[in-house]
Amino acid sequence: MSTQRLPMTVVGGYLGAGKTTLVNHVLRSTDERIAVIVNDFGEISIDEDLIVAADSDKLTLANGCICCTLADGFAAALMQIRSAGTLPQRLLIEASGVADPNQIAAYGHTPGLRLDAVVVMADAEQVRRQANDRWVADTVRMQLAAADLLVVNKIDLLDDSKEADDLCDWLAGLSPGAAVVRASRAAVPIDVLLGPGSASDAADGRERPAPDAAAAPGWHTVEDLFESQTVVLDVPVPMLVIEALLADLPDGVARLKGLIQAAPPTSADDTNAADAANAAAYLIEAVGKRTSMTPHATDPTQPPPRWAISLISNKDSLPPTWLAERLVRRG
Amino acid sequence: MTTAHTGRSDENEPFVIYPARRVITINPAFPFGEAVAVSGDRILGVGSADELASWGGHRVDDRFAEHVLMPGFIEAHCHVMSGGLWNSTYVGYFDRRDPQGLLWPGCTSIDDVLERLGKAAADMTDDSQTLLAWGLDPIYFPGERLVARHLDTVTGDRPTLILHASGHLATINSALMDRCGIDETATSPGVARGGDGLPNGELHEPAGMMLAGEAFADMMQANRSEQARWRYANEARNAGHTLLTDLGTTQLWDPEQLGNWKKVTSDAAYPARVMVAMSNLFGATADPAELAELCVKLKSEQTDKLRFGIVKLILDGSIQGFTARISWPHYYKPPPGHIGNGMWLTAPDQMADLMEPYHRAGLTVHCHCNGDEATEAFVQAVEQVLERYPRWDHRHTVQHCQLTTPDQYRRMAALGMCANIFSNHIYYWGDQHRDVTVGPERAARMDACATALASGVSFSIHSDSPITPLGHLHTAWCAVNRVTASGEVLGPDERIGVPDALRAITIEAARQIKMDGEIGSIEAGKLADFAVLEDDPLSVDPMALRDIGVWGTVLGGVLQPAQISDV
Repeated sequence: MSTQRLPMTVVGGYLGAGKTTLVNHVLRSTDERIAVIVNDFGEISIDEDLIVAADSDKLTLANGCICCTLADGFAAALMQIRSAGTLPQRLLIEASGVADPNQIAAYGHTPGLRLDAVVVMADAEQVRRQANDRWVADTVRMQLAAADLLVVNKIDLLDDSKEADDLCDWLAGLSPGAAVVRASRAAVPIDVLLGPGSASDAADGRERPAPDAAAAPGWHTVEDLFESQTVVLDVPVPMLVIEALLADLPDGVARLKGLIQAAPPTSADDTNAADAANAAAYLIEAVGKRTSMTPHATDPTQPPPRWAISLISNKDSLPPTWLAERLVRRG
Repeated sequence: MTTAHTGRSDENEPFVIYPARRVITINPAFPFGEAVAVSGDRILGVGSADELASWGGHRVDDRFAEHVLMPGFIEAHCHVMSGGLWNSTYVGYFDRRDPQGLLWPGCTSIDDVLERLGKAAADMTDDSQTLLAWGLDPIYFPGERLVARHLDTVTGDRPTLILHASGHLATINSALMDRCGIDETATSPGVARGGDGLPNGELHEPAGMMLAGEAFADMMQANRSEQARWRYANEARNAGHTLLTDLGTTQLWDPEQLGNWKKVTSDAAYPARVMVAMSNLFGATADPAELAELCVKLKSEQTDKLRFGIVKLILDGSIQGFTARISWPHYYKPPPGHIGNGMWLTAPDQMADLMEPYHRAGLTVHCHCNGDEATEAFVQAVEQVLERYPRWDHRHTVQHCQLTTPDQYRRMAALGMCANIFSNHIYYWGDQHRDVTVGPERAARMDACATALASGVSFSIHSDSPITPLGHLHTAWCAVNRVTASGEVLGPDERIGVPDALRAITIEAARQIKMDGEIGSIEAGKLADFAVLEDDPLSVDPMALRDIGVWGTVLGGVLQPAQISDV
């Protein structure tokens, strides 16, 4: 079943933007079993407390999965991961600092995998210079354009929120369709990076703040950057409503995820009336403008799942009832 | 010098005098001789047979009396996969001789390619085996595209894969598509589609090629074998070469790959010396400082035939693939959808930090720079590391050096850098460079040997085998004549004379791998490595340079006759 495909997240961005910091942050903040692929070990520095064993060609991570390299190609890396004992729930690939993230993302079409998102990191202080650099301007702009989720990292190094707003607007122009989010120390909430519901139980669904986040001025602390809304859906939703929702997500939406029952129209004349008898379960997801809707296999021996859609957006970018209104609106 | 040598032979083992039609020594102080004397693996002297006889007990071997002896040719940029690929069927556009000396005529039409594959398929006995082929370059078949349905007509149910000459694409037949589950539901951008919207069998870049599964993996694995190493050296010997480099294809930290090198080169019959570069191109288990340390260690254990001490780094892609970094105005007529410039494989502003550990360890850094923007980044990095850690005689080398500009050559000269120029490109892709990639003006100054010479930059020339066929007489022919495949002269002002080209394929190549004290010229005390030629490169019409026959080589005093099997 297609829902069983392993989600793959690509982390790209120019040198020094915080890719490795983000990888460490993800490993630290979720209970998901994540296997990591890096371009080469010369570039990787997984925090020591996240590693339980190191071999010449791979690291064993605290989550039981491995971190290996693209030294012998993607197929070999995948084989290494699959034969490592602990089967991962997600693949995280850190691209090299000059790589085109889209080229790495192409591996997400390998049978058994599903590309979840291309996350591109930008260094808030350096990205304007880099995007106009004599040598790497085109490389940096290509990377930014590839993002589904553009993380404007080190935002705390900017002078004020006006500067941050201007930068994010400018980056949004270079990265059409991407959700632009802000972070310092790459501390993007895990629900934003991997989808709602991905955070560690130990963290009680809340992001562990970056070590010095408390010291940072209020306008860019994690709590001030995002908000979420959830709508519970006890009855099947018309398929067309879901399609319309996914087709037209506003810029502020960073992540959306839902497990729903969607129903075809009862007749060609009344497309808003759902034919509940023929409803089917779907997993819907969105990051930036990348959306997917895949059939979801329910296990009849288990209690039914909680049918709901959750959305995370940049703070103050949407009315708190936006999602509910979209779902109840007809026509 | 780290190598032990046998020195003068004793009474029981007299030295050998080889009279020759002419000995071209490449030693400016003693340019020509009538004979050379070999004692053990060393050159005892050059001169007349009478002069050499005065050293004492000797025997005269007349077998080269009608031949011309030169220092063994030195290829400072090629790859061991040129041996591994011969496990597969050659379907390239140009004639190519395999390591057994058999001539494979070029496939100059799609029908030729299909005929070659049909024959190869018919010759296979094991039905489960995949037919593998290599060398296809669609750039020579404009307007027509070889796809799966063509292959199917000759390969039937046998899974078939052709690796393109670029290494970036593969074409597979329907049987292999079926086996790998590549059908209309494929979502990968690496799966090309035909006009009907269905996958046409072409797989792009690693993300696409890996979908061909084991067929592709088998082809890559073949490069690591002992057999690949023998074929690579046999092919070189057949062309008069005595030293090869393996520039970034071996993972030296892998005991199996290193062990295979040690095993083959310790065989007295192995027909080449090999300089294996340290590289992190295809991933690494360690940071540059650790790789530098490993390289220094390997160098301390090197033998006469297995050498270390150079490092391969890479900055950009290829010009014909539109991935080389080229200064404004960039590409002349790039394909639709091209992003404008090529791509960096290493961040230019990271280059100085990356090479610093190697530089400090006393190693020589060879950096792949096809475009002038890549050369600029490398030259700047060398300036930076030299400011941090001044070092004399590093000989850091710009590899390929295809679009390097005169000002860059002047800086390279001032910094003590060398160049290894990809002269074979003039012949194989010169027409495409003039008409498509960079346009007439810049194509005329590509692979600028005359500029390098005038700037005082020590330079060699190369084949990058398997990218183009190995053979220094052909490579020298390219630098001397600058004639393209269509027969036009590209940039006549960058042509060099035959004597300069002969230096480039011998002593100057030795110089950039720091072996010019041991090889690269025929003079007393150096290793007895010779190219044995059927004619005199300094006397023939320069346009006939590449047609000179090669008897074989002498390697460390051991006769290594070429294997040529014309049928």
